[in-house]
Amino acid sequence: MYRKILAAVNEHLNSEVSARYALKLAAACEAKLFLCFIAEKAQPSAVLDRAEEAMKRIFVEAEKAGVEVEALTESGDPVKRIGELTKKEGIDLVFASTRKADVERRFFTGTVARSLSLRLPCSVALVRVVHAGRIHPKNILVPLKARIDHVEERVYFTARISQAFGANVFLFHAPAPMSKFFHGEVHLTPLQWEEKLPKDISHFMGHMKRYKVIHTGGTVPGRTGKTIALEASAKRHDLIIMGASQRSMFSSIVKGNPVEELLRNSPCDLIIFRPRHENS
Amino acid sequence: MKIHSLSKDDVFHTLVTSETGLSEDEAGRRLSEFGPNKITEVGRRSLLIRFLDQFTHFLAILLWIASAMSFLSEYLHPGEGMLTLGIAIVAVIFINAVFTFIQEYRAEKALEELQKLLPFFVRVLRDGREKEITAGEVVPGDVMILSEGDKVPADSRVIESSGLKVNNAPLTGEAEPLSRSSDPFQGEFMESSNIAFAGTTIVSGSGMAAVFATGMRTEFGRIALLTSAVEPGLSPLQKEIVKATRVVAAIAAGVGIFFFCLGFVIGRNFWDNFIFAIGITVALIPEGMLPTVTLSLAMGSQRMAKRKALIKTLTAVETLGSVSVICTDKTGTLTQNRMAVSRLWVYDRTINTGDLHKEDAPELLITALLCNNARFMEGQYKGDPTETAILKTAREMIGDIENERLAEIPFDPERKRMSTVNRTGGKVFAFSKGSVEGLLPLCSHLLKEGRKTLIDDAVRSKILDSCQSLMDRGLRVLAFAHRDMEDRPGPDLSTLEQDMIFLGLIGLEDPPRPEVPEAIGKCNEAGIKVIMITGDASRTAVAIGREIGLIQSDPVIVEGRRFGEMSDYELRKTLTHKEVIFSRMTPKHKMRVVSILKGEGEVVAVTGDGVNDAPALKKADIGISMGMSGTDVAKEASDMVLLDDNFATIVNAVEEGRTVYENIRKFITYIFASNIPEAVPYLSYILLRIPLPLTIMQILAVDLGTDMLPALALGAERPTQGIMKQPPRRPGERMLNFPLIARAYFFLGPFEAAACMFGFFWLLYQGGWHWGEILQANNILYMQATTACLTGIVITQVANVFACRSSRESVFSIGFFTNRLIFAGIAFELALQFFIVYHPWGNRIFATYPISSSIWLVLIPFAFVLFFAEEARKAVLRYAQPHHAAKSAL
Repeated sequence: MYRKILAAVNEHLNSEVSARYALKLAAACEAKLFLCFIAEKAQPSAVLDRAEEAMKRIFVEAEKAGVEVEALTESGDPVKRIGELTKKEGIDLVFASTRKADVERRFFTGTVARSLSLRLPCSVALVRVVHAGRIHPKNILVPLKARIDHVEERVYFTARISQAFGANVFLFHAPAPMSKFFHGEVHLTPLQWEEKLPKDISHFMGHMKRYKVIHTGGTVPGRTGKTIALEASAKRHDLIIMGASQRSMFSSIVKGNPVEELLRNSPCDLIIFRPRHENS
Repeated sequence: MKIHSLSKDDVFHTLVTSETGLSEDEAGRRLSEFGPNKITEVGRRSLLIRFLDQFTHFLAILLWIASAMSFLSEYLHPGEGMLTLGIAIVAVIFINAVFTFIQEYRAEKALEELQKLLPFFVRVLRDGREKEITAGEVVPGDVMILSEGDKVPADSRVIESSGLKVNNAPLTGEAEPLSRSSDPFQGEFMESSNIAFAGTTIVSGSGMAAVFATGMRTEFGRIALLTSAVEPGLSPLQKEIVKATRVVAAIAAGVGIFFFCLGFVIGRNFWDNFIFAIGITVALIPEGMLPTVTLSLAMGSQRMAKRKALIKTLTAVETLGSVSVICTDKTGTLTQNRMAVSRLWVYDRTINTGDLHKEDAPELLITALLCNNARFMEGQYKGDPTETAILKTAREMIGDIENERLAEIPFDPERKRMSTVNRTGGKVFAFSKGSVEGLLPLCSHLLKEGRKTLIDDAVRSKILDSCQSLMDRGLRVLAFAHRDMEDRPGPDLSTLEQDMIFLGLIGLEDPPRPEVPEAIGKCNEAGIKVIMITGDASRTAVAIGREIGLIQSDPVIVEGRRFGEMSDYELRKTLTHKEVIFSRMTPKHKMRVVSILKGEGEVVAVTGDGVNDAPALKKADIGISMGMSGTDVAKEASDMVLLDDNFATIVNAVEEGRTVYENIRKFITYIFASNIPEAVPYLSYILLRIPLPLTIMQILAVDLGTDMLPALALGAERPTQGIMKQPPRRPGERMLNFPLIARAYFFLGPFEAAACMFGFFWLLYQGGWHWGEILQANNILYMQATTACLTGIVITQVANVFACRSSRESVFSIGFFTNRLIFAGIAFELALQFFIVYHPWGNRIFATYPISSSIWLVLIPFAFVLFFAEEARKAVLRYAQPHHAAKSAL
């Protein structure tokens, strides 16, 4: 599915770490890896040097891993230039790292990461790097919501990342707690929750079997963002892969936004994945 | 692959740093990306929001609507007293909100305690130079300089070590110093010998380490996140109160709306109907219930404190009564944590300590004395309880030996042994002690009657059998070995523990606390499952379990290693067994056990004392920390602190919790019974077209005044006999069930309604009133009649408080004077009623007027009728259901 993967690299450590995820996935998919640095106007030379060094390090690692790799350095507006590159090279998937600033300014208010996610004509994986010590994730947490689109591509992405690192996958559903007016909160056992598992999730699990990825699953009711963070923390997951938020600004303000919450509080690295067809 | 498995160069490559550390620029950039190295609170709502919640729940919203309607009607139709009512209702909302908030509020100090374990300053290399910065400024890639006494501020990979040793107690609970080296480590991350974790302390040596995780992403931050963000949810009582208030509110609102419409049908005007609707709603809502429940819980917590269980969250008082599973530590909780050497084994005999002579095992005793970090100072043994016990026995047998310790490999939980090199008597020896499985493979010979003998399979098997036989007696067993050294060892100690001579075994006993077997028996009778979670070996745990009555058949034993491999499904299945023991466990495993039990609907209590027990303590329905041996973090994270660290205290607290729940049902019956005489006057007013017999303020005088202290006195009733012989309350069992409502509304309530209505009409007719005559609100006869109606309720409530002391036992059989608080409550009730009836202020506030004593005398027989009718009902019940449990008779 992925033949060409592009990783956006800059002077920050987190972009280098996220490029390593791209490298590993490229190796697992036998895809070509494009490393790209877009220099913005009036950036000091020290910044350019750091980005160049980071590109070199990843380039060498890619060559060692036997991945076909090409490094591109351009200048201009990062979103625009990456968009052009994506079209020109026929990129299937772009990896970019999110910045602390993205989280602080609210993720949905036009940051570079958000713009890339929305505007690029291909699939996008935004990586939030919070832990530099877990180099190869061994346990991946994949939170799933009740309605999932692009199941095929999401499963493919998850399975390939898992295969790239030889990691176990834990599929996780955090529904809202059940309650009745005169009974208050209704307690359901894990087995009872399993019986109520939404169809899309069962569908997702079915697809996962095809890739022969070791996976288990669980359901814990609660507030989505917090429940996922707690699950990742309690079970020592090394990486979370979740879909990009589809909540509107209003809905996010009223009900909260799990993706934003995790961007702020994730105990491990987080990949926010937006499959390509959502942009078309 | 994680950072601990990388070589030093790869560590630098991965973290994009170097031996000279980061540049200031890069550190600044990383600080802005990764944020400050701080422990912060995650995902918890602010106190203000939690306080505001108390004003927006279902019952509060209903009351807000009622008060708004009162203010509106005062505006549109002044002079009907609706302003006073509106203010009174708002006051009720505030009283309930404040009481409930106090009940739910719990100062979150666990995080503060965690933060104290992190340093303020740290030395790092920046641009190749040593610099002291605040711990908050540390970023991934920083190279820290560590030396003895330093606290570690962030998770870091050791890149240089000179005898560096850390104390990992906050993370693992093990206080033994652990060596840190810079070599790659291929085992488990948490067991890695090249990681210095945040929150731990450097106990000796020095070194350098590269930071790879900061703030909430460290292992320490993980504990903080799980401790602060886990919300245990509503307690069983809170859930019941939510259900009860919704049921009552729905009944009140439904009845109000129905009769409001009925009033129109039968031709009443709008204002009459409106006053009626508000009145019936206020009458049927038990405004005093929430404050009374809170005060009752507070009294329960005081009683528990007297029994050495300090309650930190009020709702925990009742939750204890619902506990269905207790997960408990062994050492110090079930046992006395007073280790003593009980038996020694030297080839091929077992010797009781009492029969031991120094000639029996001189080499074993020397090893026990010298391979030991406990000390005898100022007439006291100081150190770890196990080491202290071994030192005491050896010292008493052979006295002190002059020696020089040349080297030491400290105890390591992974290796399960420690070794020392000592020079004594001009010779150098290596001494080792540890678990048999850890030490025996290092031994090639055995000391048999003073001679070295080769260990063959038969001897090995004999040693293992003897070890198991000691464990089967509930003893903690340690093996001892030594070997001659030609000279002091070099810096490399890796070859020290080889070709050793096996000397024998020492079995240590930690006797159970004397009260524990009875407490376990009570748990068995009360249907409470007790799960032991211990770091000890399975056989030791099983033996202790049998001794205290925890194990009566074949238990399921899960060892720590197996536990880690089990799926949640397997673990859930395992936990359904009647007798389960978790052995060789560490505190980090507890939270998973608690989560799975809670997922299955159990109400779980868990004990803990270490920093890393905090998440499990927070997750459990009842977290129980140890007052004597617990860390401050554990105490802050728990709901209850055991002042004596004793398991039996938990069981006493459970008994108290069950009593509290039973007593809450008693005073709810009492409070609900008075709702009927409050409602009937309104029904009569609308249906019989008579003056309103009871004003809204008079209803509030009962609900929030005269009823309060007698109800609280019912909360102090003694436990019913057999309360610990019933299974825990089923999750679906309702506090406000049909038998309780039926008894209050359809049996006790009607007697009170008859009394109040009789008093009302009696006074009206005595005053010359005739049917159909309309009386003004300020008419003295009318005010006296409503006062008589109110007095009727108060007098019959005096009898009712005695009636509610039990649900099926005669008051005479439980002892008329056994609860002195009842009399204090009644005295208060009557004093308040005298104030309302005879004091001008009482008259003004409640629109009452003094009545003659003859009215009281006329009403008193109703109290006797109620009391003896209830006694008769109980007698019938006992006759019809002779074996029925007391609790279910409600």
